Amino acid sequence: VAISRVVPGHLPFAAQRLVVVTGKGGVGKTAVTAALAHVALDAGRRVLAVEIGRARLGPLLGASEPLGTDPVRITSALSAAAIEPEDALGDFVQSVLRLRIFARRLLESTSFQVLAAAAPGLAEFLVLHKINGWLDARRLGRPLYDVVLVDAPASGHSLPLLDAPRTLGALARIGPVAETLGALDARLHDPAQTLVVVVTTPEELAVRETIELHAQLAGLGLPMAPPIVNAMPRRRFSVADEQRLAAPDVAGVDHPLLDAARFQIERRANARAQLEILRSALGGGLVRLPFLYDGPEAAGGIAELAAVLADAADAA
Amino acid sequence: MTLADLIAERRIIVCVGSGGVGKTTTAAAIGVAAARQGRRTVVLTVDPALRLKDALGIATLDGKPRRVPLGRGHHLDAMLLDVKRTFDELVRGLATTPEQATRVLENRLYQNLSSTLAGTAEYMAIESVQRLVEEGKHELVVVDTPPARHAVDFLDAPRRLLALLDSRAFAILKDPTSILPAAGSRLAHMLLTGVLRGLERFTGMTLVREIGDFVGAIEALMGALRTRVAQTQAILRSDATSLVLVTAPEPRLVTETSALVTALAEVELRLAGVIVNRALSQAALGPDAVPAPLPVALDPALERRLRRTFEDLQRLARRERETLAPLLTLAGAPILAEVPLLTAAPAALDELIALGRWLVPAACAEPARGRGHG
Repeated sequence: VAISRVVPGHLPFAAQRLVVVTGKGGVGKTAVTAALAHVALDAGRRVLAVEIGRARLGPLLGASEPLGTDPVRITSALSAAAIEPEDALGDFVQSVLRLRIFARRLLESTSFQVLAAAAPGLAEFLVLHKINGWLDARRLGRPLYDVVLVDAPASGHSLPLLDAPRTLGALARIGPVAETLGALDARLHDPAQTLVVVVTTPEELAVRETIELHAQLAGLGLPMAPPIVNAMPRRRFSVADEQRLAAPDVAGVDHPLLDAARFQIERRANARAQLEILRSALGGGLVRLPFLYDGPEAAGGIAELAAVLADAADAA
Repeated sequence: MTLADLIAERRIIVCVGSGGVGKTTTAAAIGVAAARQGRRTVVLTVDPALRLKDALGIATLDGKPRRVPLGRGHHLDAMLLDVKRTFDELVRGLATTPEQATRVLENRLYQNLSSTLAGTAEYMAIESVQRLVEEGKHELVVVDTPPARHAVDFLDAPRRLLALLDSRAFAILKDPTSILPAAGSRLAHMLLTGVLRGLERFTGMTLVREIGDFVGAIEALMGALRTRVAQTQAILRSDATSLVLVTAPEPRLVTETSALVTALAEVELRLAGVIVNRALSQAALGPDAVPAPLPVALDPALERRLRRTFEDLQRLARRERETLAPLLTLAGAPILAEVPLLTAAPAALDELIALGRWLVPAACAEPARGRGHG
């Protein structure tokens, strides 16, 4: 497994301007994105957090209304937006053609599907184009956002997203699109500007997919952060506790308290085994986040994750 | 109706649900359980994951049914959905001449569309099922479906594919000037044509012309495709087929799964029931579960830690209950099985068999096994 591209000890709040968070569905990408936004805010950076086609990030960041394509200000330093690729196509064509009526009728959603299928990477390119615009936005001579954090689609879809400049570049070789693609590609591959973070849980399926995804992304030459292992079962029992619970007078006893403890101990042991597998495949430097029994949406959930991430960044 | 009844009586069981809920594993476990009862069963999966191959203990999982020996003379067939190949075969089957088929198959747009157009994978899954049923080698086809981002993509795919190919949108793409009123001015025609040329120059692609070629080629197949789709639609809505929703008590799934359930109802596809994966036992961890005093003497500090661990799980169980409740109301279908949060996902055949015992307990003499909190 290629790990040479892992930027050692770099967590996504040091210098990068674009941080892309990806991973298998359900591992907590959105919660990690929200927590990273908090870390960057605490470091005094102005943050734009972006999600693609879902509706979970806004509430975790404290947005009172659903996010849309235009960034909304949540606090003075935190803004958030959500991109729908289909809207992005409309915006793009309108900005290019300046003929709204035709553009709108041409781009009914079914037409969009056909167009998107006809040009692999088009939908992804439009998303990146939008993000690129935010990175370039300036006010009073300095960037409007210091960092753009992207809650990217799940593994299978994030690869086409990050590879879009090249897939589409193969089709559009000349013209303004080709130039934009070249600039995007350079930005994505520059470790000083971009960092890709893979989030996983310490479960077999997620770990397997993470190792695969990590290799594929590194294979594209993208700057990779060490993976973040989310939802790590907490350590509740000492070695002596575990020995006591395994003693003959306790081991065979069927009782809800003991069942719960055995369940917790076994889950943690499994999680640690998966952590080892991940470590041996990708090298050390994993960041572990605790399992939140009340979920990240409960009061203090994101703050707790952010505190752990900030410590990890300090240690690095 | 229980899952055991469905296994015994249906010809097709379709597992639907969001990505990452354990649909593939559940479909495989249902298939294993059915085959062990002597039903000639094939599992059609859309997930090319290595893990499933490992769990089934087979070297190859591809577009042809592969035999999985289960002991005691039983076996299961497993095959992987091959979208491109199924679509190609469909085109060849529908074309009246080999030239007609070639014209479609060699179109660059077809080659992209056949694997990326939303709904194609879904439709081809159903097309494969119909083919398996027609071949008649199996009594039961268990289908694992692609995850639904747009929920409707699922089983309404045949109708949607047809609607897309028939649609005005497609006509527009074939001849973009058709969006103008019939009596539109020559000036408007010229203007739009100019805009489209501009778009092509701008993107460096010849999209519009290629789309026109493709539509022209595929139009010849439309009549035959319409007949085929009508057959597929009928099978899905017949008594031979049951849809099972696979879900898990996780907040991220609520919106997507609710949309799926609503969309299924809109296209008149009814759910036979719900399988809840990765659920903590509400019996053991519900609000009324107050553990009796421990029957063994333990250090008070350890007992406090035991209580805390139990309460953690109780909180989690409450959150799961609150997450699932609205979804179950919306689905209006019974829970067919609750599979506990297993400490590890099934990675071998005996673990799939064990999982099957949670799904169809009555069918197995041995009780469910494996440390789940249930």
